[in-house]
Amino acid sequence: MTTNPEAHDATVDVDPFDLHDVVWTAVSPRLATARLVVLGIWAVVLLLPMVALAAGFALLWLWLTAAGLALVLAWAGFLVRRQVRALGYAERADDLLIRRGILMRQLVVVPYGRMQYVDVSSGPLARRCGIATVQLHTAAPGTDATIPGLPPAEAARLRDRLASRGEARLAGL
Amino acid sequence: MSTPLHPVPESAGEEGYDWRRLHPVTPALRGWKVLVAFIAVIGFQMSDMLRDIVELLGPGRAWIVALGVILLVGAVGFVYSALAWRVMRYAVTDEAVHLRTGLLFRQQRQARLDRLQAVDVVQPLLARLLGLAQLNLEVAGGTGSAVQLAFLRETEATELRTRILALAAGVGPQQVPAAAATGAPPDAVGPDAPTAPAPAAPLAAPVYEAAPERQVYELPMPRLIGSILRSVTPWFLLLVVVGAVVGSILLGDVSGMFVLVPALIGAGGYVWGRINTGATFRAAASPDGIRLRHGLTEARTQTVPPGRVQAVRIRQGPLWRRPDWWQVDINVAGYGAESQTESVLHPVATRAEAAIALWLVLPDLGVDDPLATIDAALTGVDDDGGFTPAPHRARWVDPLSRRRHGVLVTRTALIMRSGRWWRTVVVVPHERTQSLALTQGPLQRRLRLASFVVHSTPGPVSPSVAHLDQHVAAALLEEQARRAREARAGAGPELWMRTATADLGGAGEVAGAQPPRPPVVQGTASDAAEPRP
Repeated sequence: MTTNPEAHDATVDVDPFDLHDVVWTAVSPRLATARLVVLGIWAVVLLLPMVALAAGFALLWLWLTAAGLALVLAWAGFLVRRQVRALGYAERADDLLIRRGILMRQLVVVPYGRMQYVDVSSGPLARRCGIATVQLHTAAPGTDATIPGLPPAEAARLRDRLASRGEARLAGL
Repeated sequence: MSTPLHPVPESAGEEGYDWRRLHPVTPALRGWKVLVAFIAVIGFQMSDMLRDIVELLGPGRAWIVALGVILLVGAVGFVYSALAWRVMRYAVTDEAVHLRTGLLFRQQRQARLDRLQAVDVVQPLLARLLGLAQLNLEVAGGTGSAVQLAFLRETEATELRTRILALAAGVGPQQVPAAAATGAPPDAVGPDAPTAPAPAAPLAAPVYEAAPERQVYELPMPRLIGSILRSVTPWFLLLVVVGAVVGSILLGDVSGMFVLVPALIGAGGYVWGRINTGATFRAAASPDGIRLRHGLTEARTQTVPPGRVQAVRIRQGPLWRRPDWWQVDINVAGYGAESQTESVLHPVATRAEAAIALWLVLPDLGVDDPLATIDAALTGVDDDGGFTPAPHRARWVDPLSRRRHGVLVTRTALIMRSGRWWRTVVVVPHERTQSLALTQGPLQRRLRLASFVVHSTPGPVSPSVAHLDQHVAAALLEEQARRAREARAGAGPELWMRTATADLGGAGEVAGAQPPRPPVVQGTASDAAEPRP
């Protein structure tokens, strides 16, 4: 989880998104399962009627559209695991780091003292997969600090920990 | 209404608060809105149905019916407003302002004074004619004003503002220095500042002294008009008009002229908005923070206490380059993202005034020569003024304005520079940093570049620097997180006067802290910096 496979062929020695002395925690691989299920549902909902229509009326363009869509979905399915692997977070003494993305990479630093509230949420599918999402909110709407795919126990621990740390370092706006 | 308001301690319990009503004319002013809204809705939405009804009744009777309906709606509106006014009360305690509203659905709202972000006194045209004003208290979060007291008598509103600001600053009435009781030095009080050692008040009543203020700049009307002529909108409008006229002539068909209607309405609205908010724009410095006064029909006096400005943006379009004009916008947590009129610190500033505006927000820029730094930020390229620019290889992703991307870290703030034709400079004080991010797209990755983003509260300013060297950006992220933390630890308390009590003694001294007067500027800035008689 420390280096990205593609960082090796770059001429750079260190990955700037891999701040030194930071131990990243990966999210649960069950997030990949959950996302694959969602993709699967989309595939069924979109592809089945398309294929049925295409077969029924023998429409070549519809077949081609369906094939294109299937290709996109397959590619997305292929990417899901890598995307989930790229997700990580790290609790430091004074702030929380979150990184995500392979193509569009992002690293967010949220100081504990800046947190206004913490959300823990999980939908029906996420609950079935045993994962939850923790989201940090600051006074800035631009703060995109979402950690999806945490085991519920870890999510609860993180929430309590963030809340207590935030309280200790609370400052005005 | 004239008895002075005693702020009771928060612990007194809800019923012990000094609950007050708003001005009795309020329902009349509010009732109008119901009527106008009704007529507008009926007129615009149901004009077809109206026509049918008119045909059914015949013209004579239709008029009577219409008049009757309008009277009825007006009466309902006024009665409702009157009833709402009867239950609406406010109270000021030493910790919060409470507002009770609601006829059917009761609501009690509490705005904590230590969370106060801004206090505005607003006078819409009608209220202004009647000598009434509305007091808006802004706290972070939510939409609209946290507490809106509409309407109060004008003197009452300014007095209440003085009290609220004094309480929010952590200054009790007893702490008012002896000098203030005899009246502030006349030169320190602004033209229409609340002149208020309330001589009529009984001895026991707490006396709050309006913080002395000193005007630092004023926007002359010709410059405002000039700035509008030098914006894109009128030229775009001219283009549309010429296009429509030429098109109509060529085609011999006037229906093309109807294109003009929405364009005219849009452009007219924009121009009117700019004139209305920019006219008579004045800014003053006071210990209570920045005080902005502006507005043609709707007069607005804003007070933003110290440390409440989250970010500043100084911007210049291509047409403003020749006269060297700049627009200065701010992020204040209470105003929110949707406010356009409140978030302006200076609609059209000269360079010197832009520097003064920045000084209002950040008295210490954290560099030895602030003016040179501001110059480098406004017009510099590459590493002028010590900026860290985007590396040369960034030309592949941004060939046009690559040389303007840059960042400078000072002791107190982060200065970000961008834009070649639309020059933009954003300043974020270290202690106002909310969270930080680093982003990198596929192209940037190949070029070993990364963009650095600072998240600020909702408002017009969104600070970021694009296409820095990825290691520079990563180091900046780390250091900025540390600097923001340290700055916050050393930042003043929310009750801003608690640290500055020593300054209270000399009324003029605090307010008169000299703005950085640029030595090289033409007379305007130094004239503007003088207090008006």
